[in-house]
Amino acid sequence: MTGPWQRLTGRDNYFEDFPLGRRLRHARGKTVTEMDNVLITNLVMNTAQSHFNEDSQQATPSGRRIVFGGVTIALVVGLATQDTGENALAELGLDQLSLPTPVFHGDTLYAESEVLDARVAERGDAGIVRFRHRGRNQTGAVVMEGIRTVLVKRRPGG
Amino acid sequence: MGETAAEAALVPKGTPVDTFQVGQVFEHHWGRTIAAAESSLFSSLTLAFNPLYFNVEYARAHGHPDLVVNPYLVFNTVFGLSVEDLSESGPGGGGAFLGVDGLRFLAPVYPGDTLYARSEVLAKRESESRPGSFVLTWRTEGVNQRGATVIAFERSNLRRRA
Repeated sequence: MTGPWQRLTGRDNYFEDFPLGRRLRHARGKTVTEMDNVLITNLVMNTAQSHFNEDSQQATPSGRRIVFGGVTIALVVGLATQDTGENALAELGLDQLSLPTPVFHGDTLYAESEVLDARVAERGDAGIVRFRHRGRNQTGAVVMEGIRTVLVKRRPGG
Repeated sequence: MGETAAEAALVPKGTPVDTFQVGQVFEHHWGRTIAAAESSLFSSLTLAFNPLYFNVEYARAHGHPDLVVNPYLVFNTVFGLSVEDLSESGPGGGGAFLGVDGLRFLAPVYPGDTLYARSEVLAKRESESRPGSFVLTWRTEGVNQRGATVIAFERSNLRRRA
């Protein structure tokens, strides 16, 4: 894709920018609020009230609502998206994804990525990149780890 | 109606952990039509900065008929539709969502598409570290209004015996 569209996205996140073993620490974190968790949980019809009923959680070990893991995954991948998916043509998959630490309202999430594999796709104008993503909270505890596969544009004219 | 809420019988939700059988299939409730605004909102909230999700001109220039629905909204919605049947239990009784494997985004989803979810029980084993708890694994698929599978994934949760 050439022409005006490439002006809308970054110049340092094409397929060629992801050599094997490259590690990235993403600049922005996000504090997960009640708004993020409850809005998305209810928007996607997740009926598990541990994510939206504070009263029902009183008797549990944490005593409070837990952020839906689907929200945690979307946020950690989101924090990594400008650097690893802004010039993506398609998200292809997720593997070996685990959620070792629960996330609560007020926690701040950060993301890191590592290039595990990169190869030119059959279509020729893009490549398939596998990233290991790791999300951490404000104490450094890993809240999400997994492998994401994405189809990324090759550098135009490159 | 009685004087107190306790006099009325609770309408329970969720599937008791003891009743899951490997190979059991669930066709999940409701379905959901995805609106463009929902996908744009979801992408903004999760900082998913790929213009395919929120700039329709950019999406069309890349061969799409409309905005591309953020695939992680597709995942969350298909997952969400499966929760009552698979992982919801009584107050305080939910089990931790442990992980996902083999997730594949198989086709793009566009605003106006309707998603349905179905699942099969792949495995059920008693937790070694937590007696009385089970690790359940399901394969869940999301299907659009034309019957095309748009996403498939395996999910595992911890479930306690009520």
